[in-house]
Amino acid sequence: MKTQLIQDLEALVPRFAEALAEADASDVEAVRVQFLGRKGSLAALMAAMGGLDPQDRPEVGRVANAVKARLAELWQQCQERLAQKAQGAAMPFDAGDPAWVPHVGALHPTTRIQQEICAVLQRMGFETVSGPEVETDFHNFEALNLPPGHPARDMQDTLYITERVLLRTHTSPMQVRTMLARRPPLAIIAPGKVYRRDSDLTHTPMFHQIEGLLVDREVTMAQLRGVLTALVQAVFGASTRVRFRPSFFPFTEPSAEVDMSCVLCGGRGVLDSGEGCRVCKGTGWVEILGCGMVDPAVFAKVGIDPEQWSGFAFGLGVERMAMLKYGIGDLRLFFENDSRFVRQFA
Amino acid sequence: MLLGLSWLRQWTPFEGTAEELADRLTMLGLEVEDIRDPFAHLTSVVTGRVVECVPHPASDHLSVCRVDVGGAEFLPIVCGAPNVAAGQMVPVATVGTTLPGGMTIQKAKLRGERSWGMICSERELGLGESHGGIMVLDPKLSPGVPVPDALGLERVVLDVSITPNRADCLSVLGLARETAAAFGLPLHLPQVQLTEAGEPWSFAVEAEADACPLYQARLIRSLSVAPSPDWMRYRLLACGMRPRNNLVDVTNYVLLETGQPLHAFDADRLHGGRIRAARTPQPLDFTTLDGQVRRMEPGDILIWDAQGPVAVAGVMGGQDSEVTETTTNVLLESAVFHSLSVRRTARRLGIASEAAYRFERGVDQLATTWALDRAAALMAELAGGVVAPGVAGAEPVPYVPRSVSFRPRRVFQVLGVDPGEEFAHKTLVSLGCAVTNHENAWEVTLPSFRLDLEREIDLVEEVARFYGMDRIPAVLPPVSLSLDALAQADTSFAETAAVKAWGKGAGLLEAVNYSFVSAADIKRCGLPLEHAVRVANPLSEDMEVLRTDLVPGMLRALRHNIAGGTTRVRLFEVARIFVSDAQRETTVAEALRLAILLHGARFAERAPYPRGEVAFADIKGLVEHLLVHLGLGPCRWLVEQARPYLAEQATAWVDGRSIGAVGRIAPSIADAYEARGAVWYADLDLERLLAMARQARLRFTPLGRFPVVRRDVTLRMGWDISVDQVLGAVAAMQEPLVDEHFVLDVYHPQDAAVRHVTVRVVYRHPERTLKDKEVDKVHSRLVSRIVQQLPVQVV
Ligand SMILES: [Zn+2]
Repeated sequence: MKTQLIQDLEALVPRFAEALAEADASDVEAVRVQFLGRKGSLAALMAAMGGLDPQDRPEVGRVANAVKARLAELWQQCQERLAQKAQGAAMPFDAGDPAWVPHVGALHPTTRIQQEICAVLQRMGFETVSGPEVETDFHNFEALNLPPGHPARDMQDTLYITERVLLRTHTSPMQVRTMLARRPPLAIIAPGKVYRRDSDLTHTPMFHQIEGLLVDREVTMAQLRGVLTALVQAVFGASTRVRFRPSFFPFTEPSAEVDMSCVLCGGRGVLDSGEGCRVCKGTGWVEILGCGMVDPAVFAKVGIDPEQWSGFAFGLGVERMAMLKYGIGDLRLFFENDSRFVRQFA
Repeated sequence: MLLGLSWLRQWTPFEGTAEELADRLTMLGLEVEDIRDPFAHLTSVVTGRVVECVPHPASDHLSVCRVDVGGAEFLPIVCGAPNVAAGQMVPVATVGTTLPGGMTIQKAKLRGERSWGMICSERELGLGESHGGIMVLDPKLSPGVPVPDALGLERVVLDVSITPNRADCLSVLGLARETAAAFGLPLHLPQVQLTEAGEPWSFAVEAEADACPLYQARLIRSLSVAPSPDWMRYRLLACGMRPRNNLVDVTNYVLLETGQPLHAFDADRLHGGRIRAARTPQPLDFTTLDGQVRRMEPGDILIWDAQGPVAVAGVMGGQDSEVTETTTNVLLESAVFHSLSVRRTARRLGIASEAAYRFERGVDQLATTWALDRAAALMAELAGGVVAPGVAGAEPVPYVPRSVSFRPRRVFQVLGVDPGEEFAHKTLVSLGCAVTNHENAWEVTLPSFRLDLEREIDLVEEVARFYGMDRIPAVLPPVSLSLDALAQADTSFAETAAVKAWGKGAGLLEAVNYSFVSAADIKRCGLPLEHAVRVANPLSEDMEVLRTDLVPGMLRALRHNIAGGTTRVRLFEVARIFVSDAQRETTVAEALRLAILLHGARFAERAPYPRGEVAFADIKGLVEHLLVHLGLGPCRWLVEQARPYLAEQATAWVDGRSIGAVGRIAPSIADAYEARGAVWYADLDLERLLAMARQARLRFTPLGRFPVVRRDVTLRMGWDISVDQVLGAVAAMQEPLVDEHFVLDVYHPQDAAVRHVTVRVVYRHPERTLKDKEVDKVHSRLVSRIVQQLPVQVV
């Protein structure tokens, strides 16, 4: 008797919800009477409680009250729905009412600028490739004309796994992997994480680079400059100037360091306030990447004839680009993942 | 490399400013990082004439002076030096000067007497070790002149960053050569006036060919060790070297001048009249001149006398043959050592000497004699010695001139701009090359000091450097595409970008964590360490293991956010995990994962959002949303223990394959990262998801045109079966009229052991309108089948 009564009471909830859902303004009152009216289903079941053992009554009473409250709630919701329907456009409203904005997400600034840079290069016909972050000494150094003991290895402090396996110190091994796997012509870019044994205010042990490689007939340094100028202007604006300075990388010859006119002072070296610019240290230029023509020794390692083919390669630091583009002063922010930081790059 | 401007000007008559020189060198690939005045801190130290000097009335060792520093009034200065006297010209640190020792001069009273400045010793000015009293200057100087100018100190030093290929530029000589070539100036080598005298001598010199291509030595007799003259000490100081004595200073001075490292042995402490440059065949202990006992390994090149080793070749001398205060006879070494060996030895011993730095990059074998003679002559001059006649030496590998064939048209082919043959010719000659013209190619003999020039392309670069790389025009290349390349196209970047775009769209913030974590992090999360990849030389314990799961990084990011006051955290990360795999070329398997972490309130605490914490429904919902986004599904959820760091958890399965796990971070772990309240987490195998998404075929389903009929059934069920099973049972019936079915409502009755789940089934016929009666029939059959199959009752 008691169990049956509880079950009957609880069954009222879905039945009432269902009936209300199918009702409209004309017959909703009839539904209410049927369930909640003086002779309605709820009243009938409440009346039946009189026949219970007195010790069962409190328990069934609690269930009855819960069910009654839930039915009242359903009725309230139904009335609101019908009222809204009836009022239509005539409803009073305040455009200043707080909005229900869905959750706002954001890409990390490195992802954001990486995608922007890759998009520019993809439009020029470069294909994006990826490869391992744990590399062999061969791909990371040897094939790039950096044999063991080469003093230029000092330029990159390396994190080793074993003597022959390491965390790649640059994205350049992707040049080697691509040239070993495919025949020219090649036009690839390889974005990814790189690692160095270095940690201070301006270095983190992990950061991101984008490698570029073009191998074809009669590739020239002028074309390299064209691609990099187009890239820098697409990312930093058409008035940005690019400067080529000779430099040294074992895997390119000739090699160049590329400077871009400073974004903060417009390349003047001084701010409007007359203060010296701290971003470019007053020089008007900021170093952004290294590049050059693929060294014949690298071609030899991957079996490409340097008399038939020529190529250029470049590698740029993603965090550096993001810092310059968004005016971020502190490199460490990139790896703390503070929501207040990441949210700004939505 | 620190380059003094006046030093450079002794070698080539460059008349321009330091800035002009810096710009030109930088654009030649010799980047000038800084131009500085090494004695800027002494600018307010001026010459002063001691006009009056009387004993201090209240002290027996102080003097009260009045000093003329060129101003309207004489300065009163109390001086404690015994050698101060009226009439002297002395350096006066004026009020406000901060001396190298850190003391700042202020107006003071010393035992009642005013003192408005300080008369300084050499040591107080950082110009020398002598502290036997104040520095007494040339009395002919006029008062009030800044001391750096009065002493003729180097006021302009360029800090030039030399790339590893340009060993030749690690010297004044090398930078003078570049300057001369760049500005069309002559190069003046200092005249070496070497006078040989005294008894003939002989030293038997032996050099192993693979260790030491050239070894030369001179004997200089009757030297007296003393401090070097001012000009040499000041010049060394300006270039960052600490002066020692006139013998050691000469070797350093000539090293800076020529780039040739030299070593001075006390000839009387060498035994047996013989010198040998050879690798040690067995390990041995050797005491270097800094007093440290160093372990030498087989293969290290040592210099040996008749009794044993006396120096680590090219790295550091030995204690037992070092020059001392009492040295009178010096054996001066100028040699060429095998660069790789020097580098290996120096690195292993942790010695970063100027000598090793140059030997490991390569020295000019044809310049060793000149450097030796230059240093011998200077030693004789400065230390009153006599250069003994002749040079003792061995040259097992004589220098062979190198030449390379150069096609001038290659310059245009490589650069895309043509500086012209004449320019190329002029440039190569100005760099010291000898050029012989042939039809299409030139025969270019390379200078001995440019070890970096070996091939035609290296000469192309030289022409480009001097032409100006910044004059290369910008043109866009045609980019060739091949069908092959398109077929092999790597789609992972675009796919990953799409997943990240999903994360952003789903209201998550992207995290980028380090790929390395601490072993403690991994253990704390209950993950095994056995297949983890360890970094052999980590920066710190925090970065010793490559992550095998994204969870430690995500929890660290959570902790950082909580510490920064962000209590509502919604993060995702797309990154690789690493485990050992001997089968792979790199011995490591890398796999892409996607992690999602939710913590705190579901919505921002403001209108119009409801209050409430994120729950299982949120994290599960994100995963199902991603699957829809990738065109995958349906997803089945199994309650099983899949991740050690999750408490309540379930695995997600698509097409019979596990794609990840979702659950609540175990409270003890969450606690360790300072999270109060539930942390919901998803770890997904993105590698697999992307592969499945690549295979997924999207097929169009025709739209239903006839009206639907809805029927609900409320089932009472326990917790021993899952809502998923009920839905699965409906699906398994494959009833053709069922258009869709889903949970309409879950009601938790007073009896907590059960719940009331209302399932809505939507019926539709593809070709006609359904009649209520036939729906009733199908529906009741469906309901009775469910009740038969599963432990549920209709309410
Ligand atoms: Zn600037």
